[in-house]
Amino acid sequence: MQYQPDASRYDEAVAPDGSVRQGWRVLSAALASVGVGELAERQRQADRMLDAEGAGHLVHDLTGRGVASRPWRLDPVPMLIEQAEFDLLARAAAQRVRVLEAVMADLYGERTLVRTGVVPAAEVAASPSLRMSAGLQRPARWLVQHAVDMVRTADGTWRVLGDFTDSPTGLGYALLNRSITARVMAEPLRAAGTSPVGVAAAVLRRALAALAPTGRTDTRTVVLSGGSEHPSYVEHSYLAVQMGLHLAEGGDLVMRQDRLWLRALGGLEPVDVVYRRLEDAGLDPLEPRAQGVNGVPAITWAAQRGGVVLGNAFGTGVGEIAAVQQRLADVAGALVGESLLLRPYAGEPLATTPVYDAAQGLVPGRVVLRLNTVVGPDGIWVMPGGAGRVLADGDHPAAPTAERTKDVWVVGGARSGRAEAGVSASTATAQAAAVQQVDFGASVPKRAADALYWMGRAAERAEVAARAARVVGAQVEQDPYLVTLAGGGWAMGAVALLRSAQGAPQRSDAVDGAPLAEVLQRELAATRATVAHQVSSLVNEARSVREYLSTTTGRVLGRLARVVSDLVRTDAAVDDLDLILIDLAALAGLATESTVRGPAWRFLDLGRRIERGIALLGSVEAAVGQAVDPLAFQPLIEAVLAANESLVAYRRRYRSDVELHAVVDLLVRDDVNPRGLAFQLDRLREHLASLAWPEGGALVEQAVRATFADLDDVVVRGRRLSVDGLVLAARGPLLQLDAAVVARWFADPVNPMVLGGR
Amino acid sequence: MRFAVCHRTEYHYGRAMSDGYTVAHLVPRATPRQVVESTSLDLDPSADEQTEHLDAFGNRVMRIGIHRPHDHLVVTARSVVRVEVPQSVVGGAQPTWEQTADAVREARGDLACEVGPFAALTPSTPALPEVVDLCADVMLPGRPIGETVQALSTRIFTDFAFDPEFSDVSTPLADVLRARRGVCQDFAHLMLACLRANGLAARYVSGYIETDPPPGQPKLAGTDASHAWCGVWAPGIGWFDVDPTNDQMPPRRHVTCAWGRDYTDVAPVRGVVIGPAAAQSLSVGVDVTSLP
Repeated sequence: MQYQPDASRYDEAVAPDGSVRQGWRVLSAALASVGVGELAERQRQADRMLDAEGAGHLVHDLTGRGVASRPWRLDPVPMLIEQAEFDLLARAAAQRVRVLEAVMADLYGERTLVRTGVVPAAEVAASPSLRMSAGLQRPARWLVQHAVDMVRTADGTWRVLGDFTDSPTGLGYALLNRSITARVMAEPLRAAGTSPVGVAAAVLRRALAALAPTGRTDTRTVVLSGGSEHPSYVEHSYLAVQMGLHLAEGGDLVMRQDRLWLRALGGLEPVDVVYRRLEDAGLDPLEPRAQGVNGVPAITWAAQRGGVVLGNAFGTGVGEIAAVQQRLADVAGALVGESLLLRPYAGEPLATTPVYDAAQGLVPGRVVLRLNTVVGPDGIWVMPGGAGRVLADGDHPAAPTAERTKDVWVVGGARSGRAEAGVSASTATAQAAAVQQVDFGASVPKRAADALYWMGRAAERAEVAARAARVVGAQVEQDPYLVTLAGGGWAMGAVALLRSAQGAPQRSDAVDGAPLAEVLQRELAATRATVAHQVSSLVNEARSVREYLSTTTGRVLGRLARVVSDLVRTDAAVDDLDLILIDLAALAGLATESTVRGPAWRFLDLGRRIERGIALLGSVEAAVGQAVDPLAFQPLIEAVLAANESLVAYRRRYRSDVELHAVVDLLVRDDVNPRGLAFQLDRLREHLASLAWPEGGALVEQAVRATFADLDDVVVRGRRLSVDGLVLAARGPLLQLDAAVVARWFADPVNPMVLGGR
Repeated sequence: MRFAVCHRTEYHYGRAMSDGYTVAHLVPRATPRQVVESTSLDLDPSADEQTEHLDAFGNRVMRIGIHRPHDHLVVTARSVVRVEVPQSVVGGAQPTWEQTADAVREARGDLACEVGPFAALTPSTPALPEVVDLCADVMLPGRPIGETVQALSTRIFTDFAFDPEFSDVSTPLADVLRARRGVCQDFAHLMLACLRANGLAARYVSGYIETDPPPGQPKLAGTDASHAWCGVWAPGIGWFDVDPTNDQMPPRRHVTCAWGRDYTDVAPVRGVVIGPAAAQSLSVGVDVTSLP
C-alpha cells in the first residue's frame, strides 16, 4: 500500500529510514489483504452503522463548545499505540487525575494553592467554573471520570493539550467507535492483538455504584442527560445502554427532603448516584451563574447534604480553567510533590499517522488522542484505547473539532488497561452484568413511558398513511380511468380515505374546482408528507428512550430516517412506500418479539392499539361516508380493506364480491383479525388490566359495547348511517381513552422556571 | 443608629406549581460595625424544607423547598439592626492606590483568601475599554486610596443618571456604559469593574438604605428598595464602604445584608418553580424605618 509520510516528521507507521514500525507491520499486512478499494466499502459500512446509532446525523462535535458541527465519520484505519508507549501515556493520565483530584480538594478546601500564591485567587475567582457552593460540603471523591487530550509532536514526544474534568466526553464515543471497527475491521483488529476496551462500561458502572452513600442497599444509579438537544446526547444514550442504567433527563428527577427521586410510573423512586452528563453550569438552575433549565433544581442541595452522590462532583469544571491548567506543573509539585510525566503542548508541529483518503488511499494526517480514565474503588483505570480526532488543515489541536475520528488500538501487549492500582478480576463479572438489557420489569420514568406511547402512535399512524398512499397510488397506476369512474365516486372516496389516513378532517370542498386527478395527486403528496412527518416524530421520540429499544431497532430507525428524507425529496412513491412499510413492519415485529413485556412495552403497545383503532374507524367512515355508485363502491371498499391489510383475509373468507356488512364484520367485529377493531380492544383490555386502571378499562368497555351493538337497531335512513353511528359510538371512547392516558400517566408538568427577585 | 428592615417578596405563578425552590440572601449578616438584634423569615405557604447556612463569603443563606401544589409565594424578612457609621477614610496617612494594588497581588495566607477573590474580573464586572477610559483621570499616579475611591464615586455619580426604568438585573455593563444611566446595582458593578481593572480588591455589598419621603409628604410603606454599593480593601485600613449611587463615603444610613463578587453571588431571592407554563408576577416592597 502506498504511503509516503514526510520523513522530517515522526510518523506512527513509518520510521525515518523508510521501514515500517513494529506495531504497523501486522496492521499493514492486514490492510493490504483487505485492499484499498475495499477500504472505501468499509468506510461506507462504518458510516451506515454510525447512522444506525443515531450518531451520523446527531453528533455535533467532541465537546460541544459552540464550534460548527461536522458529521461524525469514523476512519476505518485505526490509530495504533504500542503497549509500552501506552503504559507511559496511561501513567501520565493517571498522574493528572491524582493531581486534579488534589486541586479540587484544595481549591474547595484549604486553598493552600491560593495561600502560597501558586494559583492567584483572583484568576480562579474570576472563572464561573469555580462554584462557590461546592466547597460547603466536600464530597468523598471529586473525579470519577476524566479525559485528557494528547498529541505527539514532530520530534516524536508526547505532549498534553489539556484535561476534561467537568463532564468529560469520549469514553462512550470510544466504545461506539470500537463496536464499529470490531465489525468493519474485524480481521485486522484480531491480527494486531488489540487490547479489548469493552470492559469500560462495567468499570464505570462499578465506579459509580461505589459512590453510593454508605448504608444504602439496592442502590440506583442514573445517567443524567441534557436531552436529545445536548451535543453529546448520542454518547449519553449509548453509555446508558451499555451500563444498563436509566437515562434520565432533568424533568425525570426531583429533589425533595434532601433526596433525589425519579418520577416513575409507580410514583417517586429514590436515586442514590447520578452520573451527570450535564456540565456544572447546567446542572442546577438554582445555582448562581447557572445556564439553562435542563438541570435538576436543588440537586446540589441534596448532594451537599449527602442524599445523593454526583459523579463527577459538582464544581469539578474548575480543573479545566486556564489558571489551573497553565500552572499544572507547579500545582503538581505543590500538592503531590511530583513532576509531571508529560509536558504541555506549546504549538510545535505534530507527528503524522496514516489516515484513509478515498482518493489517495493512505495519507499522513494529524491526530489528537483522547484518553479516558475512570476512578473506581480499586484505583485509577485508563481505558486501553480511546478516540483520535483527525484534524483538518488549519484546525488547532486544542479546538474541539474533528474531521473524522479514529478508533485507537493499543497493540503489542496482552495486559488490560491498568495504570496504577489495577482492576480486579471481579470486573469480569461486572462486565457480564453490564451487558444485560435494561430491566423492563423495573420502574419506568414517566417521560420514557410518555415517549414510548407517542412512539407507538407515530409508528402506527405512519404505517396507516403509508399503506393508504400505497394502495390508492397503486390503484391509480394500474387503472387511470378509476379517477373518472362513476362520476368521480371512487376518486372522492379515495380522497376521503387519504384524508382520514392523514388524520385530517374531511372537507366537503376537498374536490371543489380542481380536476379530480389533480386533487387526488395533491392528497397523495399530503399523505406521503404525513408519513415523513410521523416517521420523524417516531425517530425523535425513540431517540430519548434508546435504552428501551434493541440495537436492531436502532438500525431500523436509522434506515427509516434515511428513506423518509428521500420520500419528501422525490416522487417515487410506491416503491419507497413499500420500503417504509417493510421497515415499519420490522419495527412492529421487534416491538412484539424483542421487547420484554413490562410497563414500558405496554405503553408502546397502548399507543399503537389506540391509534390503530382510531385510524381504522376513520377509514371505514371515509369509505361509507358518502353515497357512492355501486360501480365505484367495489374498488373503494377494496382499497379500505387493503389499507387495513385485510384484503387477502377477506378474499379467503368470503370468496365473493365485497359487501359492506362482511367488511364491517371483518374490520370491526372479528376478534381474530389483528388489524380489526375488536382485536385492538382486546389488547387494550389486557394492558389496562395489567396497569390496574379501571377508569381506562371502563372506556374500553364502552367502545366494545358500541362495536358489538346490533347495527339493525341503529338503522334509520339506510345502512351507511348505521355504520356511521357505529364509528361515532366506538371512536368517542377511544379518543377519551387517549386523553385519559395522557392525563393519568404523563401529565406531570415539569418545566422549571427561574424566578428572580429584587 | 437602629433600623427596622422589612423586605417582602411576593410571587404569583398564575397556576399551581408542584415544587418550588428558593434561595434567599435576605437576612443581614453581622459585621464589625453592624449588630443584628433580631431577624425573622415568614413564608406563605409554609416550607416543606428549610435550612440556613453560611455561604463561602460568610453570608446567611436560606434554602426553602415547597413540595405541594401552590400558586403563590410570599417571603417576608424582618430584621432589626444596630449600625455604627465609621470614620471617613479620606485624609491621613494611607497607601496610594498603586500600593494597594501591589498589596492585593502579593497577599498570601489568610489575606489572599480574604481579599483575592474580590479582585476577580467576573462576567458582571468586565474590564471593558470604556471602564479603563472612565478611570483614566481618576486613578492618578500616587493618589491615596481613600481619595481615589471618593473621586471615582463622584465621577460615576456625576456622569451617570439614576434611571430605574432603564435597566434590570440582567442588563450588561456595556449597555449601562453606553446609555450613561442605570440603577444602584449597575453603579456598584461599574465601580467594581473600575477598581478591579486596576488590580484593587472590591466587593459588591447588597443591603438597604433609609430614604426620606418627598418634601411635605408622609413616608409610604414599601417604597424603599433593596440597595447595593461597594466595599474596598486597603492595607492598614481593611474594608471600607462607598455608595456611588449617592456619592456617599462612608455610607451613613445603610444596612448591610450580604456581600460577594457581584450581584449573582448575593441576589436577594433566586427561585425555580416546577409546573405548567403560566404568566408569573413579582412584586417587592422594602421598608427601612429608623428606630430610637
